[in-house]
Amino acid sequence: MILQHTIMPEQASDMAWHVDNVIWFITAVTGITGIGVYLAMLVFCIAYRRRTPNALGPAPTPRILGSHSLELAWTVLPLLLFLGIFGWGAWVYNKALHPPADAPEIYVVGKQWMWKIQYPGGQRVILGQNSLAYSQDIGGEGFFEGVMVLPVNQPVKIVITSEDVIHDFGVPAFRQKIDAVPGQYRATWYQPTKIGTYDIFCDQYCGTNHSLMVGKIMVVSEKDYQDWLDGKWKTGPGKNSVDGSLAHQGRQLFQKLNCIQCHDTQKSKAPVLEEIFNTRRPLKGGGTVIADDNYLRESIRRPRAKVREGWEPIMPAFGPDKVSEEDLIKVIAYIKSLKKGEMPVRTDDAPAPIGAPTEPPPPPKTTDGGTPK
Amino acid sequence: MSTTIEPRVHEQPEHPEAHPAHVSYLQDGYSIWSWLFTVDHKRIGILYLVFLTLFFAVGGTFAGLVRLNLISPHGAILDNDTYNKTFTAHGVVMLFLFLIPSIPAMMGNFFVPIMVGAKDMAFPKLNIASWYVWMLGSFVAIWALITGGLDTGWTLYPPYSSRFSHTNVVPGVFGVFILGFSSIMTGLNILVTIHRMRAPGMTWGRLPLFCWAMYATSLIQLLATPVLAITVALLGIEAASNALGTPIGIFDPAMDGDPILFQHMFWFYSHPAVYIMIIPGMGVVSEILTCFSRKNIFGYTAVAWSSVGIAVIGFLVWAHHMFVAGISYYAALLFSFLTMLVAVPSAIKVFNWTSTLYRGQISFQAPMIFALGFLVLFTIGGLTGIPLATLGSDIHFHDTYYVVAHFHFVMVGGMVLAYLGALHYWWPKMFGVMYSDFWSRIGSILIIVGYILTFMPQFWLGYHGMPRRYPNYPPEFQFLNIMSTAGYTVQLAGFLTIATYLTLSFFTGKKAGTNPWGATGLEWETATPPITHNFEHTPRVVCGPYEYSLNLTQTGGRADVR
Repeated sequence: MILQHTIMPEQASDMAWHVDNVIWFITAVTGITGIGVYLAMLVFCIAYRRRTPNALGPAPTPRILGSHSLELAWTVLPLLLFLGIFGWGAWVYNKALHPPADAPEIYVVGKQWMWKIQYPGGQRVILGQNSLAYSQDIGGEGFFEGVMVLPVNQPVKIVITSEDVIHDFGVPAFRQKIDAVPGQYRATWYQPTKIGTYDIFCDQYCGTNHSLMVGKIMVVSEKDYQDWLDGKWKTGPGKNSVDGSLAHQGRQLFQKLNCIQCHDTQKSKAPVLEEIFNTRRPLKGGGTVIADDNYLRESIRRPRAKVREGWEPIMPAFGPDKVSEEDLIKVIAYIKSLKKGEMPVRTDDAPAPIGAPTEPPPPPKTTDGGTPK
Repeated sequence: MSTTIEPRVHEQPEHPEAHPAHVSYLQDGYSIWSWLFTVDHKRIGILYLVFLTLFFAVGGTFAGLVRLNLISPHGAILDNDTYNKTFTAHGVVMLFLFLIPSIPAMMGNFFVPIMVGAKDMAFPKLNIASWYVWMLGSFVAIWALITGGLDTGWTLYPPYSSRFSHTNVVPGVFGVFILGFSSIMTGLNILVTIHRMRAPGMTWGRLPLFCWAMYATSLIQLLATPVLAITVALLGIEAASNALGTPIGIFDPAMDGDPILFQHMFWFYSHPAVYIMIIPGMGVVSEILTCFSRKNIFGYTAVAWSSVGIAVIGFLVWAHHMFVAGISYYAALLFSFLTMLVAVPSAIKVFNWTSTLYRGQISFQAPMIFALGFLVLFTIGGLTGIPLATLGSDIHFHDTYYVVAHFHFVMVGGMVLAYLGALHYWWPKMFGVMYSDFWSRIGSILIIVGYILTFMPQFWLGYHGMPRRYPNYPPEFQFLNIMSTAGYTVQLAGFLTIATYLTLSFFTGKKAGTNPWGATGLEWETATPPITHNFEHTPRVVCGPYEYSLNLTQTGGRADVR
């Protein structure tokens, strides 16, 4: 406790406790070893200093060539110590890497030089001190909050990616850090233990305003968190928008992008997407795949990479020019939310939604694929 | 090794004046061409020394700009872009133009052939070629840094470097590409020299530990540097293709490339490269500690083989730079485990060096102060590597100032001190003059104190979360940053002191004898400065390199004859 108010940074999460224990254990052990070596050096340097500094003379030193038992001791003892530290560190790392299964997911997208946070309920927050880029990114809409709000004592999973270069979402008070790599989802998690406001830094160098790609996390009580989500209070000048859940926004995109033309329960030309998330599915040409975030992402960005058994590769690729990272998250959130019988029904005479591809998708070569298993 | 080695009479001519004396390598031709077209390993070493000093001054100036900028939480003197270019320039110059060639190309060139008792390197023309390639690469790199600069950090991570950075990435990596070949040439040369050119009696067990260290270093240079060449070539292609508007995706995920692949390839060279930067320093320290404590090295075999052990295991630990970059849990386990193994040989060395001091006759001239400083600072640098190798704590420390402090303790507190120690130890041999004893002690102490003051606060900054490469930082970090910058000025004073008295030694320094430190190695049995072919007669080695307690040089002469 005394340490915490003097030289230790704030411990605001479950993980901070575990990480600090490892750090201080290593520091103590290596510190004792180091001081031992220094003391030996100091004692030798004083006790065995040359009394007549510049005279060489016949050197009256004993001819000591080494000691096998000492060599063995200072090979094996450090090795055992290092392996012990390794094991402890691996245990903490395992904990830090794997979120509890039921933790709600918050998506984070890094972009030069801001963080875009998307809550499951559709609330959005943009973090960063680079005021120039904000106006372009938020297009004048009042979504900008500037502070990421989290509930105390509740685990949350952070799923992270980047739109451009590699960033890193680091929260020193939580002792957690994860790279945001473009083209991939990575996950970490927090369980804040203390109400307060903490720094977020971008830890991976990302260009001009790398040092302004920073923000704050505000940890509040669970009731305050609910109120914040409901728009009852705000952390900054922006408007706290509740514009439907992510999945709801994804549903609108699903229609807009004309996915429903093929992913349809009535006349399916492509797999029906109900209840597929995190299930194992067979692939054309053998093998199976678990339909997780990264698989869903790949199937939208590059649909022909892994084609489901029983279906033809007819889907056009949706690159970043057609579906932005944030929209992709919404669509995936929608797919993940789909329960049996929730897919919308396509009606042929309905007009194509605004923004839908003008050309119909190429007709499938075979039409015998029924409802997939 | 038996303890009953009889002192023998030198196999020197009875009356040296009967033969026409060979002139020293410095007097063997005075024209500029006699330097530029030399194949003498000693002159090539001096050519390296001149430009290493220049590049160190350049890199140090960039470091000064970085530190000066950080005294204010919003950047005191530079805008963000200029700051990014400055720290990149500092990294590129210090690593590729100074640290990697420093001891290997300068001291290795000058002293490995003499210490093994050879007339020259195995491939003298390859040797001068490596210097020209190094100069070419250096000028391409510096040209890239001056005209437009490079703002990617020395790590050059794509897709930032290949698509988003509109700076001189292509010429910059081309410079690094060229520099690599110089490193390979030098490594190959030293490796073959140690294998094939040893004097009669110079068995592996009698090889000075500096040569063992250079052997291990050369192995890394030879095997790892080609991977760097491939990596920067691929990166250059991707960056150039982007600039030309016909993108070729290798690492860029927007074109199905893999940015993590670059990190694997980059660190496959760059982690072993940090051992290129530290193992030669370990060799130097073994020479100096024994000489100034007049003791045999404690555990010769352990110290020699731990260099090789570091070199070999050092190839297997690269992904410990990527624990939060999204490698799999099991990959992280493996690389953390292997990193723990590579820490052991370094620990062995430190224990052996400390034991070498036991019951010695220790004197504290400048080379010894640098060597003891190395021991203190390298130990801190090594021990603070353990939290970075440990998975749980690396999550927090990754990419913070803790990492900056850790590798500066190893690189600067380790290698730069060893380089200065080597320079002071061998200065009389290289130039035949002594520098000021008093001022050299002042200079070395200033530098050690300056280092501690500069980099100690950065451990605290890193633990409290200050990220690397940040010109803007929260105001609560300002005090420690100012302390760190103050440390830089102390170091600067130390370096200026050293530059002054070393320069003055040419004009006012006492003439140095053949063996001013009373040391045992073969390099102390040649003339001071050495003649062009190093030895009048091929030396015959009769004992190990550190027979200080028997007061024997490696050819069996008395060591304490100055």
